[in-house]
Amino acid sequence: MLCRAVRPMDVMKHSSSFLLPKLNQPANAPAKNHALVVLNQHLPRFMPHLWAHAKLRICADGGANRIFDEMFQMTNDQDQKITRNKYIPEIIEGDMDSIRPEVKLFYSNQGSKIFDKSHNQETTDLHKCISRIHHHTPDNEKSDLSVLVTGALGGRFDHEAANINVLYVFSDMRIVLLSDDCLIRLLPKTHRHELYIESSAKGHIVDFFLLVHHQQVLQPLA
Amino acid sequence: MALPTMTHSSAFLLPTGSSTPADAAATTYALIVLNQRLPRFAPLLWARGDASLSLSLSRFPTASLPALAPLFPGFLIGFPCFVSLTLVRACLLGTARLRLCADGGANRVFDGMLELLPDEDPAEVRKRYKPDVIKGDMDSIRPEVMEYYSNLGANIVDESHDQDTTDLHKCVSFITRNPPGPENSNLCILVLGALGGRFDHEMGNINVLYRFSEIRIILLSDDSSIFLLPKTHTHKIRIERLIEGPHCGLIPIGAPSTSTTTTGLRWNLDNTSMSYGGLVSTSNIVEEDEVTVTSDSDLIWTISIQN
Repeated sequence: MLCRAVRPMDVMKHSSSFLLPKLNQPANAPAKNHALVVLNQHLPRFMPHLWAHAKLRICADGGANRIFDEMFQMTNDQDQKITRNKYIPEIIEGDMDSIRPEVKLFYSNQGSKIFDKSHNQETTDLHKCISRIHHHTPDNEKSDLSVLVTGALGGRFDHEAANINVLYVFSDMRIVLLSDDCLIRLLPKTHRHELYIESSAKGHIVDFFLLVHHQQVLQPLA
Repeated sequence: MALPTMTHSSAFLLPTGSSTPADAAATTYALIVLNQRLPRFAPLLWARGDASLSLSLSRFPTASLPALAPLFPGFLIGFPCFVSLTLVRACLLGTARLRLCADGGANRVFDGMLELLPDEDPAEVRKRYKPDVIKGDMDSIRPEVMEYYSNLGANIVDESHDQDTTDLHKCVSFITRNPPGPENSNLCILVLGALGGRFDHEMGNINVLYRFSEIRIILLSDDSSIFLLPKTHTHKIRIERLIEGPHCGLIPIGAPSTSTTTTGLRWNLDNTSMSYGGLVSTSNIVEEDEVTVTSDSDLIWTISIQN
């Protein structure tokens, strides 16, 4: 009998240690570097943790309004000015139809780079931000980088659908969409996946779902 | 061979009855409320049966009409009372004959209707917005809410033994076994609270659209309306431009589409392929009063709801 030797799939490991305070990181966390993309919806309550983990923070258009307005209530700062000066995104990018003029001016004066992409109506703000990160990350570093995205779920359904599509279009990157209730990530069929559950962050993580291309399969992974 | 045509209308969101299309009058609506914050138009979709409608309207305090005014800018403000009542009556006529709460959805109605109608007497609002059925695994409904509605005659159906299907699935199954309205009318199930929140819940709820593809089921939130366009039909979607749009999308969830063709959109598809990882039609714009869609795959249609 002929047997075909099947090469075992490479394993891809995933962890959500970015939900924990920076000091409590496991030694063998799969992705060492984080980037943060903030879209234009209410910030999740653990936003300060995400900000602390990220080496690069990009606000997509009105995401900058959210940081400007909402970070203060998540900190113990005495004064909103102190908070605003602490949380400065490195980049603000998008079609600029939502960011308030005073917010844009504030961050520009604080050194944020503003990339106005209003001429490009073909892609969503999230797509533009991920595309930038993708372009600037060498291939051999992509597996070490995890891009955390807030504000991609809920809201207008077509926006949510487009944001999920970004996970598929950039399937060679680790991208995690986060909300107050859950996180979602793509598990590409090219790999076997191991997901490490942060049981101390159990209140945040509920289920992992496998949304398989070409197939309607929804299955919680225990 | 040409596919049969399926027509879709959002007349249930209309503020005035006079422009309701003729075939929409033959539609019977059922309303399901899941456990998320009510959208602002929840009172609009809720009505009692026709016999009690005129009675409740005659007691409809005119002070409450301004609460609905933000939904109909220009219609109600400054109008004499009786004209306003006619408009309100007209919009309530196109609404639900059967109201189900899925478990904690009952909490949302109990608490949320008061928030949406702050100028009205709370006791009166609570009695008026009483679900006909409360169904599900009962792990979220508060005991005092269950007791209140039970005392008012709501049918409580406890399915805590069944953990295989979601609350929405249970409610849709119930409606198919107990259809409201006359036998020859079209049934349309409106669902509040199915979108947003936990992603696995949202996906499970969208899956219900696929599993019951022969029934019209519309998932509604403050921001969007979504429903399934089965590949077995060519679809004509009537757009109520005062209430919905202009942003819309066609989403091939679960299966790619090799060929989709549309009319009435700013960026129409013409035998175009769509798939996750490739093109998904989002942030499209409705340009006509009617959008047509034909596809070789089941698609989710979504349209934004205006503030």
